[in-house]
Amino acid sequence: MSLREGQGLELRQLSRSVGERLLLDRLDLEVRPGECLALLGPSGCGKSTTLRLVAGLDAPSCGRILLQGEDITDRSAGSRQVAMVFQSYALYPHLSVADNLALGLRVRGVGARERERRIASVLELLQLGELRERRPAQLSGGQRQRVALARALLRQPQVVLLDEPMSNLDAQLREELRPELRRLLCGGEPPVIYVTHDQQEAIGMADRIALLEGGRLQQVGSARELYANPINRFVATFLGRPAINLLPLDHERQLGLRPEHLVPLDPEAEGQQGLAARLQRHEWWGNQQLLWLETERGPLRMLLPGDQSPPERLRVGWQPAHELHFAAGSGERLP
Amino acid sequence: MRALLLLWSLAPLLWQLRTSLQSPAALAPPATGAAAGAAQAAAWTLENYQLILAGDPPFWRCLVNSGVVGLSTTLLTLLLAIPCAYGLHRQRGRIGSVATLILLAAALFPTVLLFLGLLETARRLGLANNLLALSLPYSAMGLPLAVLLLRSAFDDLPPELEDAAKLEGLDLWQRLRHVLLPLLAPALISTALLLFLFSWNEYPIALTWLSRSELLTLPVAMARIGSSSVFTIPYGAFAAATVLGSLPLLLLVLLGQRWIVSGLTHGAIKG
Repeated sequence: MSLREGQGLELRQLSRSVGERLLLDRLDLEVRPGECLALLGPSGCGKSTTLRLVAGLDAPSCGRILLQGEDITDRSAGSRQVAMVFQSYALYPHLSVADNLALGLRVRGVGARERERRIASVLELLQLGELRERRPAQLSGGQRQRVALARALLRQPQVVLLDEPMSNLDAQLREELRPELRRLLCGGEPPVIYVTHDQQEAIGMADRIALLEGGRLQQVGSARELYANPINRFVATFLGRPAINLLPLDHERQLGLRPEHLVPLDPEAEGQQGLAARLQRHEWWGNQQLLWLETERGPLRMLLPGDQSPPERLRVGWQPAHELHFAAGSGERLP
Repeated sequence: MRALLLLWSLAPLLWQLRTSLQSPAALAPPATGAAAGAAQAAAWTLENYQLILAGDPPFWRCLVNSGVVGLSTTLLTLLLAIPCAYGLHRQRGRIGSVATLILLAAALFPTVLLFLGLLETARRLGLANNLLALSLPYSAMGLPLAVLLLRSAFDDLPPELEDAAKLEGLDLWQRLRHVLLPLLAPALISTALLLFLFSWNEYPIALTWLSRSELLTLPVAMARIGSSSVFTIPYGAFAAATVLGSLPLLLLVLLGQRWIVSGLTHGAIKG
């Protein structure tokens, strides 16, 4: 997992507190060149704080930020080679698309001809050519997002930061844009940090996911690793929809079972393992249905194929390999 | 109904306009012949306007004086208020709120209490009978309100806009010049109008600071017209002066109105 010297982005013991509140607690994280890392977590978990620290918009209380081996912690936002796409896009409303893109280049002293060449090429890349004279107010949400992307790409950044870039778009557009966003941003040289609270987006976009909660890094790894091998109860609960079932095993332990790992067993067959369950209600989703069951150990959610009719009474079974055990108090994963 | 409301609001102004266009004789008819007076009332005349424009100093001179003071006051106040408002906008927390409170207190301070001190200052520094110097006390008095107005305008701008500009490498001046101030144009113009209006109408300080007749500002000159004669009140000339004095303001507001369009920031944020 170690980073080659002088590559990518490295955060070392990064912390930020405002007054008494600790927003980010000693975050250690590496993003490799060409890698897309999703910062995932509920709101207030510190993911946006991290992004603002990397961008240089806020200063860390302690810790260092290294970009390509160089310590940029004390550099101003403008002098870091960092591009950011904001949740609200933050396009300058009084400027046309072309002027929105040109402003940053102009203040950095890029000549008129070079400016025009670079703007034209990025507009073509994002298929925005016909919109160059429009104002942001005259663009649709998806178009605004692409202009914001174009502005970020023009910066020729060493790291790209995306702050919930799709949360203002409707679900269908989000799904359409995801592969496009990946094509444009990921796989290039600069590492990408993608902040989202949406696990589907994180799984779809990122090579690795860093899950944060309460300002602390919980676990970092590929989506598969986090799903199959969660380090604690929070990770297990946050990743996977519908959320994992938690049943008390004894005073110290909880049993975690994912709804998709439960299977119905024959209710009449005696001597079988599994739990007797009674159907409370169910939601039909088309290809799947979600069953809300009541058992002697507590409530369970279970996924079934959509074409089966849900039985009133059943026994619920699972493979032992799918069991996850957690400490009841701390939520730590137990072997 | 709407026409009625309009008439109700505009009646005093129309009355003033009518008064300004009638001869002094028609306005104060001799007690003997009411019928003769009524006959004369129908006769429109520009006599009043001719009278005040030919006066000493001519009335247009006062309009120019007031315009100069108004312009310099507005520019000076904005020049001081913009950095202050931006500073307060960025300075959240205790310092910011204490500073805002002090500004509010300054805005509420009764100006009457300042006259003697101001007069003394003007005398000591030789600022009397200087039109541009008059904008110093005017700016001081207009500043608190201007700062508070502009500060709330800064606060209303989406903060990501400035963040985005910072990331693109724009320094403070460039951010103000290219991003923030253009977006504040409506607030800037309405603040400027208020400042100009205040300066245009100010009477007591102008009265005490200016004595040379060719430097008089509009309110002082009008007071002079009003008290020019001991025996009669020159209603017609006075009305003509008010009409002439209001026209530039009317023009300014009409011009400014085009720019005071809300929703200029629309589209910056999800919309």
